[in-house]
Amino acid sequence: MAAVTLKNVVKRFGVFEVVHGADIDINDGEFVVFVGPSGCGKSTLLRMIAGLEDISGGEIAIGGKLVNDVEPADRGIAMVFQSYALYPHMTVEQNLSFGLRMTGNAKADTDRRVKRAAEILRITELMKRRPRQLSGGQRQRVAIGRAIVREPQVFLFDEPLSNLDAELRVQMRVEISRLHKELGVTMIYVTHDQTEAMTLADRIVVLNGGDIEQIGAPLDLYDDPANRFVAGFVGSPKMNFLAAKVVGADGGAAIVELANHGGARLRKPLADVPPAAGTDVVLGVRPEHFFDAGQGDCDIAVKADVAEHLGSVSYVYANAGANAGANIGANTGQEELIIEREASRHRANGDHLVVSIKAGRSLLFDTTGARIR
Amino acid sequence: MRHQNATAYRFLAPYLLIFAIFWVWPIIDSFMISFQATRTVPWRFAPGFNWGRLIGDPAFFNALKNTLLILVIQVPVMISLAIVMAVLLNSPLLKARGLFRFAFFAPVVVGEVAYSAVFRLMFNLNFGIINKLLNSVGLPSVDWFSNVTPAMAVIMIAVTWRWAGYNAIILLAGLQSIPEDVYEAATLDRVSKLKQFFYITLPLLKPIILFCAVLSIIGTMQLFTEPFLITERGGPGGGTETLGLLLYRQGFRSLNFGYASAIAYTMAGLAIAISLVQIWLTREPK
Ligand SMILES: Nc1ncnc2c1ncn2[C@@H]1O[C@H](COP(=O)(O)OP(=O)(O)OP(=O)(O)O)[C@@H](O)[C@H]1O
Ligand SMILES: [Mg+2]
Repeated sequence: MAAVTLKNVVKRFGVFEVVHGADIDINDGEFVVFVGPSGCGKSTLLRMIAGLEDISGGEIAIGGKLVNDVEPADRGIAMVFQSYALYPHMTVEQNLSFGLRMTGNAKADTDRRVKRAAEILRITELMKRRPRQLSGGQRQRVAIGRAIVREPQVFLFDEPLSNLDAELRVQMRVEISRLHKELGVTMIYVTHDQTEAMTLADRIVVLNGGDIEQIGAPLDLYDDPANRFVAGFVGSPKMNFLAAKVVGADGGAAIVELANHGGARLRKPLADVPPAAGTDVVLGVRPEHFFDAGQGDCDIAVKADVAEHLGSVSYVYANAGANAGANIGANTGQEELIIEREASRHRANGDHLVVSIKAGRSLLFDTTGARIR
Repeated sequence: MRHQNATAYRFLAPYLLIFAIFWVWPIIDSFMISFQATRTVPWRFAPGFNWGRLIGDPAFFNALKNTLLILVIQVPVMISLAIVMAVLLNSPLLKARGLFRFAFFAPVVVGEVAYSAVFRLMFNLNFGIINKLLNSVGLPSVDWFSNVTPAMAVIMIAVTWRWAGYNAIILLAGLQSIPEDVYEAATLDRVSKLKQFFYITLPLLKPIILFCAVLSIIGTMQLFTEPFLITERGGPGGGTETLGLLLYRQGFRSLNFGYASAIAYTMAGLAIAISLVQIWLTREPK
């Protein structure tokens, strides 16, 4: 078991810098997920921890020991690859034991470890098969088994579930979660799927373009994102961003006018000094935080274009609205909104809908994307 | 459909006609000729004439022995060398990969006569570069073409030089199809580079190695150019005569086509047999 510490870690490929100084403290036994859009440097970061990629700057320590110049095999880590990276010509059993056999580990101990890994992952019946005779999910189990056999201090996963179908993905997600509880070791997990991140992580590291946007527990990121990027990335479907302008202040609160909703106004209490009147801002509202008309602090009218009915909930995609009176804004058709309705099973096309926004269930950002709290 | 097929065959007809005349017919005809006495006209059917002679012919056994000797030494050496070359070519440390790939492939496209002439010069007793090099490190000159063992060595070296790069290029394609992350997984498994080569690269490359081996066996069974041009018609004294050369001598010097055909069929049969044994020996374990 070991903590993992990254201090100002930089990675350059030639002149092209892809990780710009990452600081991450991962506690012993913690499950940390690196999440971010494609190309943001998640894999690169993970591979630097593994030692498969050298570090252009900064320090990485595992279990309190600086590992910058330590060989990958001596770092006490095991990695599960997206493509499984099983040895195609070996049986499952040979795949699991290969590393130990090659390094002259005692046979009895090797057998014990292989047996235990096979039991944990329930692949005992598959031991004599070769990778090509396995399903995707079974291959993934073998890949994880090979990591378990090494009895590492830290597990690294690089998008291990992205080649599986949706159902299997959910199942394996639960398995990995169970594995983490059973083994109690540090796990670092890379994904671009925010659902995986939310469900698995003790803490999430949100990356964007080689920078760390925020580190925090899943619900903290959901409730209290540091900026617009994190707000948009965490939560599904994505948070809606409504163009707005500060039109005044009212004791500690900003009065915000929604530009595309016919001047609908929201009184948004803030901890900081409200921005000056005339400042352009962005109001973030999650699809699940629209309320029935009159239930919130500001009503807006929208016209539904498409509705997806999932049974338990429906998602209404709206971007055109009609004027409907006093404090009700008319959507001018600029902004697409996604609105979650509890199983309303609305008919979609052209339905008019009035929904309400609550000040406490919305977030304010400045035009650079930073939170205004 | 029918109509379209007919049209297709009409387009193919010229090729098929030439293929039938210059490939299929000679194969059938030579098989039949191998059962005929062709020493004197008119040729007559005599099944035992050529095949019987083959069994007791010391010249045939000499050529067979030489061919197999070259085969068992040269093919493994060349394939091993080709594997090493392919691994080096595949190394990320290598600069100018394209240049090396071309250089490795170039010997195949060099004209046979020019290549043979160069080898004769290189191994010349008095002013060849090989003897000069030997002398420079204090070794005596070798009379490469007057003794059987050195002459055989020259042939093997020449054939290896000519075909190792070609096989390396084929093996390189095989190497490149092995995913990088398998090696990364092995590295994390604390498996040394050398063990990775023996336990991952070689097993995964096996089908391609087998392909190269079969190709080389077929090629070496037909070996002709090198003993004909470099060691001057199988010299010294038939010491490097191969089956290919014997066939040529019988068929085109003595015009004994029946016996030449029997030799040709023996060569083909041996190539097939050896290749099958090779495939059987390296088959996938069930
Ligand atoms: N060997 C390399 N040489 C040059 N650039 C590279 C190399 N490997 C990665 N990059 C670049 O580094 C950046 C980060 O790549 P990385 O693979 O870490 O992304 P990622 O976050 O894992 O993305 P994905 O979700 O698509 O896997 C990308 O812009 C990529 O083009
Ligand atoms: Mg990646």
